[in-house]
Amino acid sequence: MQLIETTEQKQKQKTKPNLKGLLTTATCALLGTQAHAEVNTSDDKWRFDTAIMHYNEADRVTATEAIIAANKTYGNDEVLSLKLTIDALTGASANGAVAQPDAQTFTRPSGNGQYIVEGGETPLDNTFKDTRVQLTGQWTQPLSDVFTISAGGNFSKEYDYMSISGNTNLTRDFNQKNTTLSAGIAYAYDVIEPEGGIPKPFAEMVIAGFGSDEFDQAFADSRLTGDDSKATVDLLVGLTQVINRNMIVQMNYSYSSVRGYLTDPFKVLSVVDVNGYAQSYLHESRPDTRSKHAFYAQSKYHFGHSMLDTSYRYMTDDWEIDSHTFDVRYRVLFASGHYLEPHLRFYSQSAAEFYQPFLQQDDVLPMYASADYRIGELDTYTLGLQYGMPMDSGNSLSMRLEYYHQAPKSDGSASFGVLNDVELYEELDALIAQVTYSF
Amino acid sequence: MKKIKLSLSLFVLLVFLQFNAQAEPSLPESFSQVLEENKGQVIYLDFWASWCVPCRRSFPWMNTMQEKYTNDNFKVISINLDAQAELAAKFLTDNPANFDIIYDPKGKIARYFKLKGMPSSFIINKQGKVVSAHVGFTDKKKAKYEQEIAQLLQKQSND
Amino acid sequence: MIKLFEHTKQVLVVTLVLITSLLSGCSSLGVEPWERDVLAKKEMALPTSAVDAALDDHIYFSKEASSGGRSFGGGGCGCN
Repeated sequence: MQLIETTEQKQKQKTKPNLKGLLTTATCALLGTQAHAEVNTSDDKWRFDTAIMHYNEADRVTATEAIIAANKTYGNDEVLSLKLTIDALTGASANGAVAQPDAQTFTRPSGNGQYIVEGGETPLDNTFKDTRVQLTGQWTQPLSDVFTISAGGNFSKEYDYMSISGNTNLTRDFNQKNTTLSAGIAYAYDVIEPEGGIPKPFAEMVIAGFGSDEFDQAFADSRLTGDDSKATVDLLVGLTQVINRNMIVQMNYSYSSVRGYLTDPFKVLSVVDVNGYAQSYLHESRPDTRSKHAFYAQSKYHFGHSMLDTSYRYMTDDWEIDSHTFDVRYRVLFASGHYLEPHLRFYSQSAAEFYQPFLQQDDVLPMYASADYRIGELDTYTLGLQYGMPMDSGNSLSMRLEYYHQAPKSDGSASFGVLNDVELYEELDALIAQVTYSF
Repeated sequence: MKKIKLSLSLFVLLVFLQFNAQAEPSLPESFSQVLEENKGQVIYLDFWASWCVPCRRSFPWMNTMQEKYTNDNFKVISINLDAQAELAAKFLTDNPANFDIIYDPKGKIARYFKLKGMPSSFIINKQGKVVSAHVGFTDKKKAKYEQEIAQLLQKQSND
Repeated sequence: MIKLFEHTKQVLVVTLVLITSLLSGCSSLGVEPWERDVLAKKEMALPTSAVDAALDDHIYFSKEASSGGRSFGGGGCGCN
């Protein structure tokens, strides 16, 4: 019969790349298991995704981030995912103060030094340097033919910051797996311990007499405690729906509630006089709670030789920040297995109710204030291109290059005096380069 | 609450319409022939596709089953559901099979058996009757499947 | 600004109606189990690449006021 075909069973010999063997051994050693799979299980081999990303802002922050993600599917459809992330960050970051016609002197957040910002320049604190190590683990397993449960944890540590979190998620399939509902909860606990301590809300930056005992005393007086913490609860419900053979959509609603220290200990506000001259700098103060609602929708459509991935996110929070994010990726698939994927992202946010670019000398201090442009009105866009190609034995290599542009906008507060002559809302450009290898 | 009732009735209506819209599919002639030819054998009928990850895992097991019970009137028959034949061919180079493969690119046989998921398998007794239906392939399940096959072979050899 | 979700009860009812109608609507959508060849392709996974998504999330978390929403994010202060 023509329909029936029998193929010979043959033994296939594959030479594995050395790196994979090494990583497998390392992963197994970490887990205390044997690197050689037992004969009677259908466990898959470990799969690794490795990536290195370089982020570079013109004149500001430079960051390099490396990821090794490992995952393995076991014989009963359980999946274990482990991820190690290491990133190093150096450079200069806006401290919140406004530019002035003349040079300005600031004290570093640690109290161990000072820096001078030239006239006309946006004040940047150029001593940021941090290394972060993050470990993530996630276990997912079917509970029945329709229910799947997942639980995971995360630990990350940097010089002055620690975060620990746990999450669990339950999914239920309906309609022959064409519809999937999921619900999850996550809890995170973060501790910040900045060098030089946590500044008191609206404490004045101590500048005069640097190096003297009076300075040290005044600096100590401007500090509250050595560390502080925050706790975050996230809830997420999602629906994934197969529309047809070529299309899938996902919709999520998530709620996030944070309680604790939400202020940035490194940011200040300039206090200006009627002519716009900075008289002093006050440490910012933010509310100690924030709750966010997010609606996220994504759709993927496969055209056969290309794929369109679009997503939209609306987020609103009780700091009165509303944001819209549009993301479009179009992957062109070549017959060789190579692909080219242009990427476009637009983001727009409104300002937090307590955002203000500066404080005025004669005004009464508000309850909360921050001049951090990242919680002000802000538009950003990203333009990117990714190129990927298959390698031997199911491995793959991809590279991407992205350009990110930030355009902070005026909150409408009138500038006056010398503030008219300086840039209060400086734009920022960054380049992102990434190489990913999966094996 | 009115809205809930409304959407619930809508749900019932939709399910009803969908149920009624589907005409009972018939078994393709060529496959009835295969079943006819293999009457008197216990058949493990497996539906697979190259893109289905657990299907890959089931291949070594099906090879073993075919080998182990080959003298007991047992046969593995697999139905490939790839729309493109070359994808199935590539899969078979990587995952060789010592059992029969029937190609059903349009899913005609699959529709008749009303598959609930991938992979799906059916155990057919010597009289040509389906005695059990399974979805998925895991370590736990394969132990169960083998037990069923062994029991059926034993029972039928005693008959 | 309009305060969303002030009335938990209404929200609950609306959510229930939404889910039921979505589910009922959804039951007429979809494909047969053997028709998932295209959906099983790597580029159709949600998200396409977990590593890319993690790196993106980290950048935008540090640079913008809104973050997350797609799934649970990792930790870190995202300072600067």
